Amino acid sequence: MDEHDPRRTFDLTRRRFLQASALTGVSAFLAACGTTGTGGSAAPSQGGGGGETGTLRFANWIGYIDINEDDGSYPTLQKFQDETGITVTYLEDIDGNEEFFTSSLSGPLTAGLATEWDLIVVTDWMVDRLARLAWLEELDRDAIPNFVANLEPRYLGRSFDPDTKLAAPWQSGMTGLGFDKAVTGDLASLAAFYGDQFAGKMTYLTEMRDTIGLTAIHLGSDPATITQEQFDAALAVVDDAVQNGWVRQIAGNSYVDVMAAGDAVLAMAWSGDVLTLLVPDQQEDQDFQWVLADEGGMLWTDNMVVPKGSPNKALAEKWVDFYYDPTNAATIEAYVNYVCPVAGAKDVMLELDPALAENPLIFPPEDWVARLHQFRSTTAEEETAWAEAFSKVLGL
Amino acid sequence: MRRAINFRKVAPYALLLPGLLWLGLFYVYPAVQMFLVSLWTGSVESGFTQTWNWGIYPEAITEYWAWIGRSIVYGALATILAFSLGFPLAYAIAFRGGQYKNILLFLVIAPFFTSFLLRTISWKIILADDGLLLGPLKDLGLLPEDFRLLATPAAVIAGITYNFLPFMTLPLYVALEKIDRRLIEAAQDLYAGPWRPRGTIVGALIGGALGVTVGVVMDYGPLPLGIPGLILGAVVGTWLISEAFIRVTLPLALPGIFAGSLLTFIPAVGDYINAELLGNPQTQMIGNVIQARYLRITDYPTASALSFILMAAILVGVFLYTRLLGSEELTGAAV
Repeated sequence: MDEHDPRRTFDLTRRRFLQASALTGVSAFLAACGTTGTGGSAAPSQGGGGGETGTLRFANWIGYIDINEDDGSYPTLQKFQDETGITVTYLEDIDGNEEFFTSSLSGPLTAGLATEWDLIVVTDWMVDRLARLAWLEELDRDAIPNFVANLEPRYLGRSFDPDTKLAAPWQSGMTGLGFDKAVTGDLASLAAFYGDQFAGKMTYLTEMRDTIGLTAIHLGSDPATITQEQFDAALAVVDDAVQNGWVRQIAGNSYVDVMAAGDAVLAMAWSGDVLTLLVPDQQEDQDFQWVLADEGGMLWTDNMVVPKGSPNKALAEKWVDFYYDPTNAATIEAYVNYVCPVAGAKDVMLELDPALAENPLIFPPEDWVARLHQFRSTTAEEETAWAEAFSKVLGL
Repeated sequence: MRRAINFRKVAPYALLLPGLLWLGLFYVYPAVQMFLVSLWTGSVESGFTQTWNWGIYPEAITEYWAWIGRSIVYGALATILAFSLGFPLAYAIAFRGGQYKNILLFLVIAPFFTSFLLRTISWKIILADDGLLLGPLKDLGLLPEDFRLLATPAAVIAGITYNFLPFMTLPLYVALEKIDRRLIEAAQDLYAGPWRPRGTIVGALIGGALGVTVGVVMDYGPLPLGIPGLILGAVVGTWLISEAFIRVTLPLALPGIFAGSLLTFIPAVGDYINAELLGNPQTQMIGNVIQARYLRITDYPTASALSFILMAAILVGVFLYTRLLGSEELTGAAV
């Protein structure tokens, strides 16, 4: 509980916030957390600009960048402003991909207008949708040499961004097995999810790409190339597990609370949650663990993208290039604790905080990377049809 | 003179104006918008167009009648349970509260000083598999080890009942408090004594039926709750219900019963927090479906249509209920 231990500095992870805000409404939650939601420079957005002195309007998720707890400022962001002379309006304005899409993107972009933002952070499948709609600006690779040089190779040529010029990964997370070892013993295989061994004591995730992805891996398919038949097969297995009563709940981030109470002993879980949220408060008779299954696990990524028509694309590229400097990435990583997409950040971290540098949840080793799958890009029809089909399994 | 008369005629309407404006701006306008949205076709990506697609209503009903039915059953059961808890509570405060009335009433609404969400989450702690309630019962061997309340219909209905209990209790209290005690004394003077044996029989039947219904909906079968309900109902009917209660107190409390049950039932049917937090995929209510259609699948037309269908279903239910209880007495007595 050392306050300098970054793993404890911000319990409210981005996904945790997503779930809470969906239930309470953002403003109430922000008030409860004592976070104002604004920060960086207090300078109001002026639009226009271009060139190197202007205002970069950057929308991100809450708690997703290093924050100085004392005065609420953002040190790395401040460093960027000091070095470049660019003013950044940084707002923690995104609390759900779909909500942000509806509230801030679809209106202006449908009408062919620019949005209020120059840089936003959204999850893979939303990048996929925005790319299909041609609502993204391409990054000029000459303007972002650090990105070209330091992007971890696992992010090259992803199916929704084959030329790696639309989306710059911000943070990734992994989906695997979270369990209370004191009850379940050691687990390493996804097979534990698909039987009655832990009936009524298991949770799956409401994120379709996580639950279907893990199930597809269990069935021997690769989520990166999943076909309609493989999707249907995985869906049927999930539905069976629900109908048989094996699955207690299909939950968002609330699986953490269900596990903490001892009501679930095995969960499809996001990396980081178990160590940052469960382990610090576990009871004497609990022993929470997170492992990447032997068969493999899911890797999801939140990406920086530039919405179509942004007048400040050059400023956004400056920031992307700045972030892909390993020193800056490592500074942010030491705070947010997700999987880092910047090669070389690990070496910097070795000096900053050697323990974190060895943390596989931030810098997954080679044999983990080989087992990580990214859900493939979908067509518009697939996106709707699969969301609907999965929603039926959720009982909705 | 003329002007004064005109002003008197106009004044009531002028007083209505702020309320009407409010309703128009924040209820009628969004409702009309939502109705128009329900007749769109398209998708977020291809864009929506107004096609007056009336077919969406029968489609939505066919696809989701099970969820609407479940919501109405859960809402109705929660209302009946809230009444069963709230009536004795309100009665005790109104008739036996004495100098503590205000404190007791405060205690009824005290939970409302915490957010709805937090109150519901706290039930997860109370009802946990080895928590405050079930832990000791399991230790004593009264319940099997794998018995659970969370993620079952029981937890959802119990959560709704709890969250809306004050909405039931307060109108009941107001109605009971207003009753002129001399009427009850007069009835007792006129031989309106204990209500036996009818009280025993009616109490047993109501208690038994309620127990069986709750038991079946909550997946425990008819007997585990039906038999205790039967016994409890018979006891209450035998010892606590008098002719004076049936002939004086209950009829005079009807406006409170009417108001309380509507205030409980209507929000209970549309509730989705309890099913979300305390339920599982088999207990999702129509509110959850609407939320998912809107936010998860971005199917705005179906979400809007379902909202209207739910509204219509509730209106029809309330209409029948009003006819059943006879509204003209109620509105006269309630205000």
